[in-house]
Amino acid sequence: MAELLLEVGIALTGIALAGTLATRSTLSVIPAYILVGILIGPNEPTSLFGLPLTLVGDREFIEVLAELGVVFLLFFLGLEFSVDQLLQDRNRITTIGVLDFVVNFGVGAAIGLAFGWTIVETLFLAGIVYISSSAVVTKSLIEQGWIANDESSPILGTLVFEDILIAVYLALLAAVAGGGGLRDAAVSVGTAFLFLGGLAAVAWYGAGWLDRVFATRSDELFVLRIVGVTTLVAGAALALGVSEAVAAFFLGTGVSQTSHVERIEHIVTPARDIFAAVFFFSIGLATDVTLFGGVATLVGVAVVLTTLGKLVSGTLSGRVYDLTRQRSLRVGIGLVPRGEFSLVIATLAAGIGTGRLGTVLPAFTVGYVLVMSILGSVLIQQSDAITETLLGRTASTE
Amino acid sequence: MTVYETDVPGVGKKFEVELDGEERLVLVMHHDGKREFFHKSSPDADAERLFTLSGQRAREVGAIIQGAYFQPVELSDVEVPLGDAIIEWVDVEADCSLEGQTLADANLRQRTGASVIAIRRGEETIPNPGPDDTFQSGDILVALGTRAELDALEGLVESDGD
Repeated sequence: MAELLLEVGIALTGIALAGTLATRSTLSVIPAYILVGILIGPNEPTSLFGLPLTLVGDREFIEVLAELGVVFLLFFLGLEFSVDQLLQDRNRITTIGVLDFVVNFGVGAAIGLAFGWTIVETLFLAGIVYISSSAVVTKSLIEQGWIANDESSPILGTLVFEDILIAVYLALLAAVAGGGGLRDAAVSVGTAFLFLGGLAAVAWYGAGWLDRVFATRSDELFVLRIVGVTTLVAGAALALGVSEAVAAFFLGTGVSQTSHVERIEHIVTPARDIFAAVFFFSIGLATDVTLFGGVATLVGVAVVLTTLGKLVSGTLSGRVYDLTRQRSLRVGIGLVPRGEFSLVIATLAAGIGTGRLGTVLPAFTVGYVLVMSILGSVLIQQSDAITETLLGRTASTE
Repeated sequence: MTVYETDVPGVGKKFEVELDGEERLVLVMHHDGKREFFHKSSPDADAERLFTLSGQRAREVGAIIQGAYFQPVELSDVEVPLGDAIIEWVDVEADCSLEGQTLADANLRQRTGASVIAIRRGEETIPNPGPDDTFQSGDILVALGTRAELDALEGLVESDGD
């Protein structure tokens, strides 16, 4: 017990330190959490100047916390999912969402096939490079002050569309990639849709009932109920072979119809932040840096092509919203960061673990997310210089 | 004046207010209560961040902007706007004309137009006081009415010595 408690203490303190350093250097915290996991985890590097660096093992306890991180990331995604906004602006959001998907998922699929990956592996790769990071993008928008500008509408609209798509995509992939023949796949897809359909029905028609379930004056009871029910639903989903992340997403959309949203934002967010930080950290723990050499080319190609992909699709999306050339380009720059959802997909792949899914893909994703989350933040901070270079000075003063 | 309201997933709400001419004020309300203010010199210009307020500060500044007389320490001056009507806390002074009268005798609604919606007496609050409840000196009346109606009521609760 003492040993485990000490390890978890070291892990959480390491995460806190990494987060502090990242915040001071105005970079995203996600790569910092991963890096500290790589550093003090069981894989290389194992020592620094002769000092042992394997301070934390990849323990079951940390894995459970990390799993809760995935569940609560998706629960909050569902909770903050703005159905009203989607319906109000559905034509433009659908247009830019499809555009974003076709360009970036297409680029990912092309890379996978060009490197000779199988169809299922390619589908995973395409999803990983397609989805932008809601966390990093939203934070950068606020820090940069773009949140008050017109470019925020297409950026946030794209994120809303990606959120729905990722829920459907994860549900399908978790069901299809379960292995086995066509019949097994059909059964698991059926199970998934029955379970998620039931959950969606509760979410949509049971808002009043959900409202009563969580209604309590005590903050303590409130946080326990939310965390308890969410974990229970996710666990039940996983036991039936359905994606726990998608189940949490659906539950989140259901709760978003109740009067509890603001309270959850206030009270449950800290719990989500702890679990999510441990999730990123555990990604680092499981990362074998010796595999980076083998995926360096793939990461390099993906970074270049998928950055360009977002710049192109974002610029076109800006034009759909009748923005100026400079603002349209900003939409593309704003959507470059990739992060938490790419890692969630990679975790699903590692769980299946056949072929490249268990080895190459996780290593690729960690390398890719480290580069893209940092590069994305830097591009957004340097966006004025970039737009001037690409569009000339005249465009910037339009 | 047009106000544009947008949901910002994961952040809160954004309001864009048209000011005179081309200028616009943009207010981002975060879920944690924080409010960020931005200024745009024209609808197409980049927003410049003006300042950020915490939830508590924002309410205080908002009360000043609304023109509500603002003195956080005196309970009697807190006002809550309600369309044309406002809610005000009124002290019943000793020796005033109302002291010892029941609500039915005082007939305040006929005389002033204001309604007494609660009486605070020491630690306890009498919500929705009935016709048999009496006014005592030291009571704080929670009254609802327009500015003029409340002024009339305040005339009745001041001590006759004034």
